[in-house]
Amino acid sequence: MRKRIASYVIVSLLLVVTIVYSATTGSIKMGFFEFFSALFEQGNSQMEAIRDLRFPRMIVAIFAGAALSVSGVLLQSVMRNPLADAGIIGISSGAAFVQLFIISLFPTLFFMTPLFAFMGGAFACFLVFALSWKSGLSPLKLILVGIAINAMFTGVTEAFISFGGSLNVSASSVIGSNLTMRTWSDVSTIATYGTIGLILAFALYSWCNLLVLQDKTAKSIGFHVARARLIIAAVAVLLAAISVVVAGVISFVGLLVPHIARRLVGYDHKVLIPFTALLGALIILLADTLGRTIVAPLEIPASTLMAIIGGPFLIFLLRKE
Amino acid sequence: MEIKRIIVSHDNITNHLDDVSTSISKGKVTTIIGPNGCGKSTLLSVLSRSTMPTSGTASLENRDLVMFKPKEFAKKLAIVYQQNEVPKDLTIEKLIGFGRLPHKTLLQRNQEEDCKAIDWALTVTNLTDKRHKDLEALSGGERQRVWIAMALAQQSEILCLDEPTTYLDIYYQIELLELVKSLNEDYGLTIVMVLHDINQAIRYSDEIIMMKNGRIIAEGRPRDIITKDVIKEVYGVNAVFKEDDELGLYMMSLGI
Repeated sequence: MRKRIASYVIVSLLLVVTIVYSATTGSIKMGFFEFFSALFEQGNSQMEAIRDLRFPRMIVAIFAGAALSVSGVLLQSVMRNPLADAGIIGISSGAAFVQLFIISLFPTLFFMTPLFAFMGGAFACFLVFALSWKSGLSPLKLILVGIAINAMFTGVTEAFISFGGSLNVSASSVIGSNLTMRTWSDVSTIATYGTIGLILAFALYSWCNLLVLQDKTAKSIGFHVARARLIIAAVAVLLAAISVVVAGVISFVGLLVPHIARRLVGYDHKVLIPFTALLGALIILLADTLGRTIVAPLEIPASTLMAIIGGPFLIFLLRKE
Repeated sequence: MEIKRIIVSHDNITNHLDDVSTSISKGKVTTIIGPNGCGKSTLLSVLSRSTMPTSGTASLENRDLVMFKPKEFAKKLAIVYQQNEVPKDLTIEKLIGFGRLPHKTLLQRNQEEDCKAIDWALTVTNLTDKRHKDLEALSGGERQRVWIAMALAQQSEILCLDEPTTYLDIYYQIELLELVKSLNEDYGLTIVMVLHDINQAIRYSDEIIMMKNGRIIAEGRPRDIITKDVIKEVYGVNAVFKEDDELGLYMMSLGI
């Protein structure tokens, strides 16, 4: 119990510190006190630049981190598999492809991008389930199928981009993730859908807890296992898809963060889901801030940093299994 | 509980249950026995609605089992499976609390009832002083009792047990069977279980269903149906039966 509270407090504090650090560091630098006084007054030109350029980027990073991490928790619960992650098993790349494909063909439908991304993610998720299900889910098989699905969607996305080079699409933002040049309209998209998704995820915590039981046992106590799986997976896909729409594909967050979170606060989803959101927000914001400061003026995308840390971490988890 | 002309086939080639009809008496201990692969677990899974029969009907209180909603059925019948994965970082109390699910609706939960039922399940299974421990910290026999306690928290009238003693050593086997006996005698639960040990079946059952190759070979009171000839027919084992003052009827196998 004390460890839980301590973890919550420390991660919250670190998040606040990172937010302030991130807001004041970069090509425009500001002192701590200068920043706070400028925050509440108009007309400071440096502050205006930070408001227009840096704040949207930070908020997007925070929501994307929270959404992807919680999406990971939900997927791991639904698939009864600690290795599930929207980026690794192809849900993100499915979302990215379908979104890109439909928007390229019907550019006027751009306002429906989140819906298309959701459809793509749901399709990928369905494929992974359908192809790896054989009277139960074998953890390793699911990951292998997922990696294949991911490769497939990434491949067709890249092919599509090289064919359609003339199309008026900013395709590069889809495959990789780069958080530069986010605008307040991006913020409103991810904040709206992200908040809805996160609230829904939390509302489902008791179902997630029940899924630790084997299917037959869960059924025997009158639990609608299939229905719960479907709904939880839909929320997970929503969270992953909305991050893809605004922040691009970032893998390994949904794997790394829930794993650390379980170590710190335990397996009860009532505590785990909010904590994962906090920790995920912290990690992506930190990754993005470091990425744009350590080799400035060049930038390392947050997704690249996550892959560098996440790859070895996945190997570590696989060896432990 | 009644089942009529049940046929179950998992592969549409062989029938795992072949035209089985029987009834389970209320308030009694009924044990299903038979050699490996005879369909005893399949019969239990038809009764507990986890396997849908290919043809035939299973009914409870004159209603077809398929007519029950999942939670409604879980209030009538609880089942403990043979092998259960042990969830990490979950206290016994919380796990047993899962058994209260059928009594909860989205908007309504009676916490007082829940606590009472959980306390009762803990007391009966003698786990009260371990309630805050993690499941992982318990021995095999204790874990089996936890799963039974979870089923008891459902407060159903019927309790099904699939080979509850299989992975336990002899001390825990007896402890478990005594628990089953007391659940039946003191709390009036109808028990349906699958056992491997014939002597335990004789000793703890009111009625026995003996199966072979997906069919019921004999059913009735243990003394009436378990005979040398039946054991030879079903198991292919030569057995002798002795009567002992303390043990009652018991069986020894001579050879094959």
